[in-house]
Amino acid sequence: MTTEPTGPTGPAEPTGPTGPAEPTGRTGPAEPTGPTQEPAPKQDTTRSWLRDHSELGVCALLLAIGALVLTDALTMSVDIAQRGPIGPRTVPFVVGSALLLVAVLLAVDVLRGGRGEAEGGEDVDLDEPADWRTVLLLSGVFLAAAVLIGPLGFPIAGALLFWGSAYALGSRHHDRDPLIAAVLSLATYFLFDNLLGVPLPGGPLMGVI
Amino acid sequence: MDSLNSLIDGFGTALTPANLLWAALGVLLGTAIGVLPGIGPAMAVALLLPVTYGLDPTGAFIMFAGIYCGAMFGGSTTSILLNTPGESAAVVAAIEGNPMAKAGRGAQALAAAAIGHFAGGMIGTILLVVLAPTVASLAVGIGAPDYFAIMVLAFIAVTSVLGASRIRGLASLLIGLTIGLVGLDQMTGQQRLTFGSLQLADGVDVVIVAVGLFAIGEALWVAAHLRRTTGEAIPVGRPWLGRDDLRRTWKPWLRGPLIGFPFGAIPAGGAEIPTFLSYVTEKRLSKHRGQFGKGAIEGVAGPESAASASAAGTLVSMLTLGLPTTAVAAVMLAAFQQYGIQPGPLLFEREPELVWGLIASLFVGMVLLLTLNLPLAPVWAKLLRIPRPYLYAGILFFAAVGAYAVGGEALDLVVLLVIGLIGLGMRRYGLPVLPAVIGVILGPAAEQQLRRALQISDGGVTGLVNTPFSVTVYAIVVLILAWPLVYRPAVVRRRGGRKESDGTGTVSGG
Amino acid sequence: MRLRTPLALLGAALLVLVGPPLLATGDGSDTGTQIPGLRFMVPNTPGGGYDITARTMAKDAEDAGLTHDIEVFNLPGAGGTVGLSRLVGEHGNGKLALSMGLGVVGAVHTNKSPSTLADTTPIARLTEEPDIVVVGKDSPYRTIGELLAAWKKNPAAVPVGGGSSPGGPDHLAPMLMAQAAGIAPKAVNYVPFDGGGELLASVLGNKVGFGVSGLGEYRDQIEAGELRLLAVTGPKRVPGMDAPTLREAGLDTEFTNWRGIVAPPGLSDAERTKLTGLITELHASKEWKESMKKNGWDDAFLAGEPFGDFLAEQDRRVATVLKELGL
Repeated sequence: MTTEPTGPTGPAEPTGPTGPAEPTGRTGPAEPTGPTQEPAPKQDTTRSWLRDHSELGVCALLLAIGALVLTDALTMSVDIAQRGPIGPRTVPFVVGSALLLVAVLLAVDVLRGGRGEAEGGEDVDLDEPADWRTVLLLSGVFLAAAVLIGPLGFPIAGALLFWGSAYALGSRHHDRDPLIAAVLSLATYFLFDNLLGVPLPGGPLMGVI
Repeated sequence: MDSLNSLIDGFGTALTPANLLWAALGVLLGTAIGVLPGIGPAMAVALLLPVTYGLDPTGAFIMFAGIYCGAMFGGSTTSILLNTPGESAAVVAAIEGNPMAKAGRGAQALAAAAIGHFAGGMIGTILLVVLAPTVASLAVGIGAPDYFAIMVLAFIAVTSVLGASRIRGLASLLIGLTIGLVGLDQMTGQQRLTFGSLQLADGVDVVIVAVGLFAIGEALWVAAHLRRTTGEAIPVGRPWLGRDDLRRTWKPWLRGPLIGFPFGAIPAGGAEIPTFLSYVTEKRLSKHRGQFGKGAIEGVAGPESAASASAAGTLVSMLTLGLPTTAVAAVMLAAFQQYGIQPGPLLFEREPELVWGLIASLFVGMVLLLTLNLPLAPVWAKLLRIPRPYLYAGILFFAAVGAYAVGGEALDLVVLLVIGLIGLGMRRYGLPVLPAVIGVILGPAAEQQLRRALQISDGGVTGLVNTPFSVTVYAIVVLILAWPLVYRPAVVRRRGGRKESDGTGTVSGG
Repeated sequence: MRLRTPLALLGAALLVLVGPPLLATGDGSDTGTQIPGLRFMVPNTPGGGYDITARTMAKDAEDAGLTHDIEVFNLPGAGGTVGLSRLVGEHGNGKLALSMGLGVVGAVHTNKSPSTLADTTPIARLTEEPDIVVVGKDSPYRTIGELLAAWKKNPAAVPVGGGSSPGGPDHLAPMLMAQAAGIAPKAVNYVPFDGGGELLASVLGNKVGFGVSGLGEYRDQIEAGELRLLAVTGPKRVPGMDAPTLREAGLDTEFTNWRGIVAPPGLSDAERTKLTGLITELHASKEWKESMKKNGWDDAFLAGEPFGDFLAEQDRRVATVLKELGL
């Protein structure tokens, strides 16, 4: 729990939790780089080709979802009080097939050099390489909160969620962040549970004290 | 004339100092509770219902009207500021409102929303007074084929939000339709994509989808590319609407109710579809089409006005037919019954004082809402000045509370995260997020109306076109589809990227 | 500086650990009928039938001085089975009760819920309400006899509208009617609507052959002459309503929708007696009688074991109907 500012992480400021720009950039370049028609074959051709065409992963995902929808529709029991020409399976069939079709069309588009434009925004800096570690950390914190909310109660899980997220996003005020998180979480708990009567789990000490 | 007199009497009731106080208190409480995550207007009204128990019926309903107005608006505030819509009617407001807030125009977005609510509510309530009996009898004539025709029209409208690359827009739409499939089939009770989980049997709520795709997806995406060099806070800018803003917003404010009110008045209308239709209408009519998706103020003003007018429209069927068509209306119906009053065709005759008092206090509530919230808009907007890590941590926290508080299911948080990750992937690969949300809204509704229409006609396809209304709508659809063949406007890119890799990027058709 | 971090952590930990129990209000003694901290779970959304029942009960118990501050909360999902599962998971919790009714019985089957009502501690049935068979005022069917004749002749051409999804009360009623009329339940063209509101519009507009719904929602429409009441599904006629029962119309069946209260499994005898006692007292209070009159609910009080037997009997009946439909 006593996290000293260690490792590559500077005490307060700019770089955040990531070490200065991981050279590998696992998932490929974040920004759609200019002329992509010729993926500059240098040392590791396959790898850089894959990196440039990582959008094919989207096609694979769409294919998988389409297959899932179709399988689900096919395994549905038809012995059902269905009337009319359109039953519970019709729309899943249409959506599933359309997913497969779009996946193929998208793959063709990507292979021809089409690129989805990564979304810009006020807080988004597309010129920096993607920092997937922060994303992983955030997802982990969120998932942990979901798991812990049952056994540890809302105030603890909520405080961990806020503090963990703020930490992942580069806040290093160890003397103030936990307190902000705790107060925010406790206030929310009080507001919902006590004032509004929306029950939230209170934690391990409920009923003990 | 008769109703005008009654309305004036109603104002007499609503404008006594005590009742004004109740109305103001209701607006404040309603806004405060409506802002909270996970608490939509129906929940807010239900939670605050006991507060009104101590009052006499008139006072209670006047306070109630205030709560209603306030709670409706509260959801939009978080939608704009934090990208976390509190209810389905506020989803569309996030699309343009949040980029505006990020660009330091949060106060303007909130003001546009507040005035939109005011305008929509005012016009909607006026229409309620003037048209209630007529609209109610017309609304009853609208059936499944008509609804389905409207859905077809709405799907045509989706094409205008698909973004620069049609194929990616379609992929996004299909993802939304797939999410919309999850749950028990409403017509037969058959399980679809639930994997045996009870929690998924009701499907994934559109608010969860919107919060996941908008707020969580955005937070994760920002985390991956956080601008770490510039640490300055979001600029707050001028607090008020400028002349240019007003020039752009007054028409959307007035157009919104025309779309919102009829949808609210028909039994299966709701607020999602009219807000979306208002959005695409404003996009089409705007001179600043290129700004849409990046903070076009018309995209806040129109839909908010439509949402508010739709809420007023809901009261038509609620008061004249005793039909609760939305959750809020159902809670209101329950409230009426607490006082031994049964809304229905006889309500206006039996309880004129109460009904007209209620309608009058809706007007009063709208005025109070505007006077209380307009000055608050710049204050709210300052919320975004807190440091980025806290801001995004707060958004995640807020979204989690919203998803968890009401149902108390940890699985909802997991669903939220999964949808958030999908949102992250969509941002990374340039899949627009909006079509997915539209898919979740339109898909299930369209399927249900289609199947209901076919079932009523016992399978006959003519069952889809056997009403004048549906034929008219299909004619409009054909006109819209044929229009580009006659007149082809320059394709306005929705989103101007910095480094364009165009040409091959757009597969037409598909 | 260094010291502040551990201090902050300690403070934060203390806050989130000790805060909630201290905030919890352990007020009130549990003497007499008082059950401090009692909560009613509503398994559908605010404004629904179970919600109104629960909130009315909470208010009346408070007004009658039976117990303080019953907390009502909503946990909607899967026709009420999400709430039911939660209740069954709260083994031995004597301060929780579920507002439920016939709809939950059906939903257990259609959702294939792992938790059933047999897993709960039955407390009491409180109210009941017959369903009604209605048509719009312009409908060609003037009597239940005319309607049944047309329905038997061609079930497909007479769509039945109901306000609940398959398995719900408005779905079961026409299925039982069909059975009694000699129509195969599968031949019934049942069209589900999102609640009585949407259904009403379709009945008024003659979009469906006839509608089946709860009486309370449509009383006013019938009085105003907008709807024509053809029959009531209960065992006897409704005072003030000019319509026969199904039996009088020659259909040997009856159907009544009901609402009640169940508690988590594993309650001690004392806890069960206490909860049943509170509900019994509530039922006897003049506040509750007044509320029933306001809401148009019929008294159907049935507490303890008999209610448990009733639940089991209802479950069998629903299961039989749904099985024939393949649900």
